[in-house]
Amino acid sequence: MAEKVTVVSRRCPQCGTSLPPGPLAACPHCGADLKAVRPVEGSLPPGVKGREVLYERGIRRIITAGLLLAITLLLSFTRVGFIPVPTPAANATIVHIPAIIGGILEGSLVGLIVGLGFGFASFMNATIPMFKDPLVAVVPRLFIGVTAAWTFAALWRANKRILYTCLGVLMVLGILSGYELSKQEKFVWLGMNLGGFAVGLAVVVVVAIGTALLYVWIRREDVRIVAMAVAAVVGSLTNTVLVLGAAVLRGYIPAGVAWMIGLSHGIPEAIISVIVVVAVVAALRQIGRGRRGARL
Amino acid sequence: MVHYEALRHVTIGQYIPTGSAIHRLDPRTKLVAFSLLVLAVILATTYSNNILLLLLVLVLVQLARLPMRYILSAVTPALPIIIALALLQLLFYGSGSPDRPGASQLLLAWGPLRISTAGLRMVVVSLLRFLDLLFLTSLLTNTTTTSALTYGTESLLRPLSAIGLPGHEIALVGAIALRFVPILGEQLEAIMLSQASRGVSLEGRGRLRFIANTRRLANLIVPLFVDAYRRSEEMVLAMQARCYRGGKGRTHLVELVLVCADYAAMGLVAVILVGVIVIQYTSLP
Repeated sequence: MAEKVTVVSRRCPQCGTSLPPGPLAACPHCGADLKAVRPVEGSLPPGVKGREVLYERGIRRIITAGLLLAITLLLSFTRVGFIPVPTPAANATIVHIPAIIGGILEGSLVGLIVGLGFGFASFMNATIPMFKDPLVAVVPRLFIGVTAAWTFAALWRANKRILYTCLGVLMVLGILSGYELSKQEKFVWLGMNLGGFAVGLAVVVVVAIGTALLYVWIRREDVRIVAMAVAAVVGSLTNTVLVLGAAVLRGYIPAGVAWMIGLSHGIPEAIISVIVVVAVVAALRQIGRGRRGARL
Repeated sequence: MVHYEALRHVTIGQYIPTGSAIHRLDPRTKLVAFSLLVLAVILATTYSNNILLLLLVLVLVQLARLPMRYILSAVTPALPIIIALALLQLLFYGSGSPDRPGASQLLLAWGPLRISTAGLRMVVVSLLRFLDLLFLTSLLTNTTTTSALTYGTESLLRPLSAIGLPGHEIALVGAIALRFVPILGEQLEAIMLSQASRGVSLEGRGRLRFIANTRRLANLIVPLFVDAYRRSEEMVLAMQARCYRGGKGRTHLVELVLVCADYAAMGLVAVILVGVIVIQYTSLP
């Protein structure tokens, strides 16, 4: 991981003539090979010439991972990490948020490590048998930061048109699933008998309204913030889906219960993740109008 | 009641010095033994396997002279939930377990409730497994100081640097995290106190005020993250100023050495693991 890179100030090292800007293979004056020394990219502030960058990206990643892991441990072991939600299973968690933030800010390796720490803390802290199983507590959590990192990396420089297209695809899928649901006879959910057509219609209406609202929001907001929000949702859903999936595969809870817990916990957790992640990362990276201080 | 000072004293697996033989083992031995025993516990799905493992773990806990009451006190708050979940699993499980197919007889069926032998075994096994893992993690964290654990992890990960996995850096991440937990805890406490002194109530105002609760929590978390980020910027500069180059060619003041007891312990654990796998494939119940 060592990256010792030296900046070449724009003078030829052999003959000392000043070089024109842009990448060059050989000095136009004396013909010396310039490829041996390459200009540094990325982390230097603009206008700085000739400073040796010592392993900065590596150090930054180590420290970000360490501090986010510390926040994860703090949230795991105190009551601050839970928000009471009006659902049967009591609390929505925000402990996965540092993993998502780690993935967005510094990439998938940091997200992986913070996710591993989250899983480990969850495993250590668990008092119910379901979470005392490493395959349920640790392994799924590895992917929270990784998926968030990939989603953010894919979307943050995207065209808004790509986002609109994705939104359109989601709307079509939503309407189709609503249509499929309406074809079924009836549902028994939470002890109520619901007609299939009513449920399907409700889903279509929700999808339509949601799509309209999202369209207005994407149009108005910076692409990077949209990318962060999507990454936060993906990360939170990864946590919910993979952990509950592992629990079902290992036989701790039946699939129906898993769906119920997933819907009742997963959706509030995703919403909370979006709010907190966008607030934090926008404040740290100074993105977005009116967000220079943290805005909720 | 929100206890502000509690945030400062977050402890993770308190080190209990009793000077037993297990305390004197090399941390690497303990880490390896822990992983292998956890693997054994995961693999064991029969009654006999789990009972044997539980007895073994209890022997180890006695050997380490750890107070049983202290370890079990972590579970007591959650006991009602455990019992409720176990009952749910017992009553509604029904279908055969994927690990040991065949021969799941229905013991009792009454309306939507059904108790089968597979369900019964799953419940008992998961309870035993839970106890095993609880004792094993206590064995690891209560007998090893955090610095020894960090050093042991780094040592174990050193051979992996040949394939590009930075072991030293990962251990450093762990060390930074453990070092900063109390510092960030103090910071969080300061944030909570400053907001409380400005009239923000931190009691949950009932579950239905979901948005208000979220916003209040976010008001705590966002300053915490910003503070952590500021500290990280300072640390990056400090490490660069000290010419930190990572783990390449790094030597240590105190070297870990494996002795007879360590090899014996690892050998014993390996034998146990093999034994568990063997018993798993015979037809003992």
